[in-house]
Amino acid sequence: MKSTQYTEKVMDHFRNPRNVGVIEDPDGYGKVGNPVCGDLMEIFIKVGKNDENKETIEDIKFRTFGCGSAVATSSMVTEMAMGKTLDEAYKITRNDVADELEGLPPIKMHCSNLAADALKAAIDNYRLGSDSEVEVEGHCKTIDIKVILGLDEFEGKGVYKNVDDLEDFRNKRTLIVDTGEESLELAMKLTEYTGRVILVTPSNKTPGNDDLKQKLKFSDVKILRESELIEVKGTTDVEQVIIHDLDEDERYELFVDSVIILE
Amino acid sequence: MDVYLDYQSAKPVDESVLKTMLPYFKQEFGNPSSLHKTGDKATTTLEDARKKVANFINAPNPEDIIFTSGATESNNLALIGGAMRYKRNGNHIITSEIEHISIRNIVKYLQREGFEIDKVPVDQFGKINLEKFKRMIRDETILISIAIASNEIGTIQPIREISKIAQENEILFHTDAIASESSLPIDVHEVPFDMVSLSSNDIYGPKGIGALYLKKGIRVNPVIIGGGQEKGIRSGSYNLHGIVGFGKAAEIMKKEMPSETERLKKYRDKLIENVLETIPNSYLNGHPSERLAHNAHFRFDYIEGESLILDLKEVNIAAATGSACSSKTLEPSHTLISCGLLHEEAHGSLLFTLGRYTKESDIDAVIVKLPKIIRRLRMMSPLTPPDLIKKYNEVKE
Repeated sequence: MKSTQYTEKVMDHFRNPRNVGVIEDPDGYGKVGNPVCGDLMEIFIKVGKNDENKETIEDIKFRTFGCGSAVATSSMVTEMAMGKTLDEAYKITRNDVADELEGLPPIKMHCSNLAADALKAAIDNYRLGSDSEVEVEGHCKTIDIKVILGLDEFEGKGVYKNVDDLEDFRNKRTLIVDTGEESLELAMKLTEYTGRVILVTPSNKTPGNDDLKQKLKFSDVKILRESELIEVKGTTDVEQVIIHDLDEDERYELFVDSVIILE
Repeated sequence: MDVYLDYQSAKPVDESVLKTMLPYFKQEFGNPSSLHKTGDKATTTLEDARKKVANFINAPNPEDIIFTSGATESNNLALIGGAMRYKRNGNHIITSEIEHISIRNIVKYLQREGFEIDKVPVDQFGKINLEKFKRMIRDETILISIAIASNEIGTIQPIREISKIAQENEILFHTDAIASESSLPIDVHEVPFDMVSLSSNDIYGPKGIGALYLKKGIRVNPVIIGGGQEKGIRSGSYNLHGIVGFGKAAEIMKKEMPSETERLKKYRDKLIENVLETIPNSYLNGHPSERLAHNAHFRFDYIEGESLILDLKEVNIAAATGSACSSKTLEPSHTLISCGLLHEEAHGSLLFTLGRYTKESDIDAVIVKLPKIIRRLRMMSPLTPPDLIKKYNEVKE
């Protein structure tokens, strides 16, 4: 299925989005997504009371940066929530929104279907005064560092947990794991000693603060984004590593002479 | 009226190419490998088409043209066939950061097979860094593959210098000429290419046929094995109607290219000038002058490419984007990222590719409709700064 194979209902909401805009001075505000990933949505709510004295969504508006399904799901969730009690609105799930739109292309189910989360964030913000910006799991991937096989076995045989003499790396194919700014600085310094410095980072963009990022981009460091080191291998010394491509969920081997993972 | 500005993805078959092909489906159905009269006739046709394709790239010997099923197969034959043939001499291959996806995935495969791959970085305009390229060459380097021009941003590489460096170092040099095939003449006599991938559809011939130019003396291992056609380099019964169409398309393109590129350049420049002038926060991707005549690649702040494509579709304009949301991997275009764009910037990209049947009125339609579309999407984007919204609110649509 093409990622843009949308139902007529999705296209209708994309073409004629309902409730676009901003509520000045809202009772609740929620924001999810991140322009880096390609989706960012904001939801504003105004809370009122119905005849039974229950809190309801009296008005709701959204603004969205993103693809067709990002716009359509935002529009749809506002339509679904309008007039509902907060309790009812809070129960709207991503799947409810997708169902109401008569389905979304599979690839869009996770990445561009955040509107229900934005609504929840807005309601939480109203009820709890909580942080209105929410990190959503499974969107732009977050990674926990797992156990790397072979790390202890090859320490001193190509695996370095600290670096004293950069000369050790002259002309070596060196893989360095992104463990923070210190590792990024080191990666750049190493390029003066070897032409083959590979930085592995779980991030899907160039890591580091703005200054470092800029420097890294123009340095000779080869960056493997959205990747993690899983295993170090060799007969006596380090010969190769196994890299996990998080984006494609694929594993592959790389031939290297040394591995740096700063403690 | 439909406005088609996605010629990089697919081109229609030229009317006279189609006419030339038709008899080969029924009356002239022979197999060039057969020994009877019908077969002999087919052989003459095959060799005549081969001459035309050779002539298109100024190849001295028609037999240096190997017919394949298209660009992807040509790239596979050149890289996998070349790497396997010469692996005794080394295991290092150089390519660039901005190659077409077919080259990228082939070298990924070769990497898994034990080859070492280096990718030459590019500058902000997408030009190869020649110094870094030279430094990557080692004793073990057996193959270099760099496209004449980028299929995405249209930047033209200093291909003469690159091929000269490859030649001086005696390394096999392959180029993927597909993106530039319809707007830059290829002369293998003048530029020392060892292998050139060609596609028929990219010069208005039928799909499903292509060729690899293989300089005399260069050998590659076959990747498709069978009855030994094409000197054993590419087996499989001849797709004669396709080959005939490819030959005719090459003949026409050779003749038409100078006037065609002149015309397209005019349209392209009109489009670029107008878009950059009338749309605030719009930028051109790729090189400002050294770019393919048919390529106009833009970037717009605060909006996302797939939305742009959908809105353009509504007004019957066909274009392409490098946004992640339009890709299968949800990754933005590697070419744009390699040029130093941030992810959030690459998402807002839009590519128009012009071609033989593009009219000035097509360009005018884009010039009129695009600003309105950008405005609509920006008005609902949380990223659009308030002063721009204010500006949009002040002017009537």
